[in-house]
Amino acid sequence: MDLILVGLSHKTAPIEVRERIFFPEKHLPTALQRLQAESDLSEGMIVSTCNRVEVLVHGDRGHFQIVEAVKNFLYSYHALSRPFLENYLYSHLRQDAVNHLFRVTSSLDSMVVGEPQILAQVKRAYSLACQAGSVGRHLGDLIPRAFFVAKKVRTSTRIGAAAVSVSSVAIELARKILGDLENKSVLFMGAGKMSTLAAKHLSDAGIQNIYVANRTPERSEKMAAQFSGQAVPFEDRFSYVIRADIVLVSTGSDSFILTKSEVEGIIKKRKYRPLFIIDISVPRNVDPAVNELENVFVYDIDDLQSVIDANIRQRQQEAVIAEDIVVEEVSNYIKQASRHSVGPLASLLRSRIEEMCLEDLKERRHQLTDEEYQRMEKMLKKTAHKIAHPLITQLRESDDSPGHRLYKIEMFKKMFRLDEDS
Amino acid sequence: MSALLFNSAFGFYVVGLFHSVAAFVSKKDLFHKIAFASVGIGFFLHSSFLVYRGVEIAHLPLTDLKEALAFFAWTVSLCFFISHMRYRIKPLGIFLLPLVTALMLGTIFFKSSPVPEILRSSWIYWHTICLFLAYGMFFMTFIASLLYLFQERELKGKKPKTFYYWLPSQVLLDDLFYKMLISGFCFMTLGLLAGVIWAEQDWVQGWQGDPKVIAALVTWAIYLILIYLRLTAGWRGKRAALISMAGFLSILFTFLGARYLGGLHTFQ
Repeated sequence: MDLILVGLSHKTAPIEVRERIFFPEKHLPTALQRLQAESDLSEGMIVSTCNRVEVLVHGDRGHFQIVEAVKNFLYSYHALSRPFLENYLYSHLRQDAVNHLFRVTSSLDSMVVGEPQILAQVKRAYSLACQAGSVGRHLGDLIPRAFFVAKKVRTSTRIGAAAVSVSSVAIELARKILGDLENKSVLFMGAGKMSTLAAKHLSDAGIQNIYVANRTPERSEKMAAQFSGQAVPFEDRFSYVIRADIVLVSTGSDSFILTKSEVEGIIKKRKYRPLFIIDISVPRNVDPAVNELENVFVYDIDDLQSVIDANIRQRQQEAVIAEDIVVEEVSNYIKQASRHSVGPLASLLRSRIEEMCLEDLKERRHQLTDEEYQRMEKMLKKTAHKIAHPLITQLRESDDSPGHRLYKIEMFKKMFRLDEDS
Repeated sequence: MSALLFNSAFGFYVVGLFHSVAAFVSKKDLFHKIAFASVGIGFFLHSSFLVYRGVEIAHLPLTDLKEALAFFAWTVSLCFFISHMRYRIKPLGIFLLPLVTALMLGTIFFKSSPVPEILRSSWIYWHTICLFLAYGMFFMTFIASLLYLFQERELKGKKPKTFYYWLPSQVLLDDLFYKMLISGFCFMTLGLLAGVIWAEQDWVQGWQGDPKVIAALVTWAIYLILIYLRLTAGWRGKRAALISMAGFLSILFTFLGARYLGGLHTFQ
């Protein structure tokens, strides 16, 4: 009886492989049923996203057979050949499987560390597996635990805090410079596709006053109407820079449309109120020297990217703290799980040894008188107890590492052919 | 009893300081919580000390340099407490607690002395309390402007490192700066007025020429200029930080330096 995880992810397999092993959600219930039936496994769950496909199972056979069974299921289900898939697959056993599951659910194994979708995806996979009836007491105990760990990681680290996309970084910076965006205003220079997209993100972030300045007034009016903003003449753009808190520049101009001397005149009129200029045009439309002015922050597309890079590094730093939490939780889980299983195992072991000792005596029952038989039985039971006692003490030893302890339990089960369910 | 309260308050401040540093280095939130809790306990013990000692000597414990240092430490940790509750600025502790600890440590080097008869007046209470509250607030002003500068540098450089991830928005830091500046200025004005009234009432001769009075007026003028420039020209960031630094140096001079120039404020 073993807990096994077999799968592949963006770390081991390219997209060409991942797309061929993907399980669409509507096929999952039948897939789970086939997995259970074909592979003779007691419990199973399939997590299938665009970055990973992982099969977590609990079965009654030896771990090698289980791994093979799951792999064979994957080959046959997707009609893929073993040589094609085998090198991309990894498999984790027992506490490694628990560790992997906890890391995945906590978004430590994600392409963008700390992204929140994976937790929802695992939750969905779990509820589908529950509906398909492929979750029993082992997975039913383990998987909710993974959700708990993911939540703990999220609340006690800042793993998902820093923004990692261009639009969210722009908003993060705007909030850093200007605080609450509710009653701030933004001036768009240029009403192209990029501006419209940015306007959508900014108005989602709570910005209410939107001005649009474009060389062709029709387009600025169209965009202003879309976000209930105000179209302003392109020639008047500087007077609106005085009012605005954010200026987003995205025009097709091949020269600077905001220069240092122009902005210098403006900031005095603004009483040095902070001004955030985002220049997403290529070639750049805002002179980078504008950034030297007091309380003016100019970010071009490369600058936004460098903040993203820094934020990713920040998430990775937080991930180090998160890994510690996961390791601790895995060890807690294994300890708890093995403590649960030692009790019944000990009594099984005792009766198994007793059974072995009495086996021959029972065969010769007819050769003995009742009195002789009872005496022999008593003696052999005593012997059985003497053999069992140190073994059980060994099994209950509590200062082992959880992994070792689990290994010991498995070894005892094999040696004495113990099966909890029988 | 009062020594026990005082020493344990000191102990908790030190524990708080160490945990603030640990939080800064390890980036673990737990250290922050421990740091804040220890400063909280330290502040409570320190306040109890002030009350206990006040009852003991039947006078506000703010009559010699030893007690003045301790009271200054108390106002700084009061400001830390208020700012932390209101703004949740995590790195504040690492800037404020060294000063608190240093002030508390400084008290060891001074002996307490009997209360001079001249200080037995109710105006002196208001004079000293208001001024020390103002000093604490001006120190906060200075720290807030420093943090603003640190974050501004990261924002301008487009390479977020430490403070970007630690500090709230610039607007919030500026808000803390401005509120501490204004309330500090109000308390300083009240404190100076109380001093003048006290001097006039008790017929103290020549207070106008006292070095400490002059230094305090210079400090007051620096902050007045800062407020004026802030309101009219919108000064913030680097310029404001420099002026508030000058203001705070002037406070340190008023508090510690002016006593060596003689005058009315030279108590033991």
